[in-house]
Amino acid sequence: MAALQLHDTERMPRLARATTRILVIDDDACVSTAIQAILARHRYDTVLASRAHAGIHAFQASQFDVVMVDLFMPGMNGLDTITRIRSKSAVPIIAMSGFRLRNSLDPDQDFLGMAILRGATTSLRKPFSPPQLVAAIDRGLGLVSSAERTMQ
Amino acid sequence: MTRKDNRAGQSNYSKRIERGGQRTEKFERPSPERTRAANEVGSAIAHQLNGPLTALRLYIGEIRQSSSRFRETAEAQDSMRPMVEAAFQETERLCAMMRLIADSFEEPLYPESAAALGRDVISWWSRSGSTEGGGPANEGGPAGAASFALLTPREREVLSHVSQGCSNKQGAIRMQIGPRTFESHRARVMRKFGARNAADLVRMALGENVVTP
Repeated sequence: MAALQLHDTERMPRLARATTRILVIDDDACVSTAIQAILARHRYDTVLASRAHAGIHAFQASQFDVVMVDLFMPGMNGLDTITRIRSKSAVPIIAMSGFRLRNSLDPDQDFLGMAILRGATTSLRKPFSPPQLVAAIDRGLGLVSSAERTMQ
Repeated sequence: MTRKDNRAGQSNYSKRIERGGQRTEKFERPSPERTRAANEVGSAIAHQLNGPLTALRLYIGEIRQSSSRFRETAEAQDSMRPMVEAAFQETERLCAMMRLIADSFEEPLYPESAAALGRDVISWWSRSGSTEGGGPANEGGPAGAASFALLTPREREVLSHVSQGCSNKQGAIRMQIGPRTFESHRARVMRKFGARNAADLVRMALGENVVTP
């Protein structure tokens, strides 16, 4: 199964220099392709996986600086994917979802909040803008984002 | 399947209410099951929209950012910039609407149903939410003849009630089980079929002649 789904993983041509490598696990190709296009302009190297298993496989086979995970995916969902990755690695994880389904009495029911509880480093609510995307990656990497810098 | 059936279901329902008992209490609330079903469909649509919107926002944002850096003729700049700006503003408006839609689903949730719905929606999408190609169960999921064989007798019964147009409430009453139980059976059936929603499920079930008209 995992071997089959490896076909879902596709590499972007490496830039000449070693750069920050980001693994994007999202079943929606239009989202991950857009993320890849934006991040390429910021000189980030991205690897796309359209399924959790393919993503975990790619993660184990290679080195990544940041992993972005969509919470709603066919097959293994994003929350379980985060748990799996977190059990093996301290890599910064960015959880992505457009959904909150939050209960005002219990904020933990927020999907993105649940993702943080599962070990995600930070979260990104869809639809997000290019500056928000870059800021989330900076947050994941423990950097002060350019937006925050200008505020200081 | 017909209005008549629905009416039959309704009258059973009112009989049961007249008889009283503990069951009645459960149904007094303005039908959270119905709300949940409506939310499932609504949130599925919202989910579908979210991907393209995210991509659009990323592209437009980047185009707008970099178009100011293009070394073009002044004429081209003058004509393009308002359009890029307008496209950006429209995208931002759509995204703001999207956020309202996604947020509105948190309103009717009761504490105990929030977690259940969360699990349901996630696993439902895990099974059927592939956006590649847009069709349900297009990832080689168990659709077609195989899926009916996968159902337990209980699930087949649930499917037949759903196919006849029963709401969760009506189906639950017919089977003499709680609406939650009925709904969890229904959710499992939908997962096994790879159906996106109840209508999808009925269409698939009819395709398999599960329901004899």
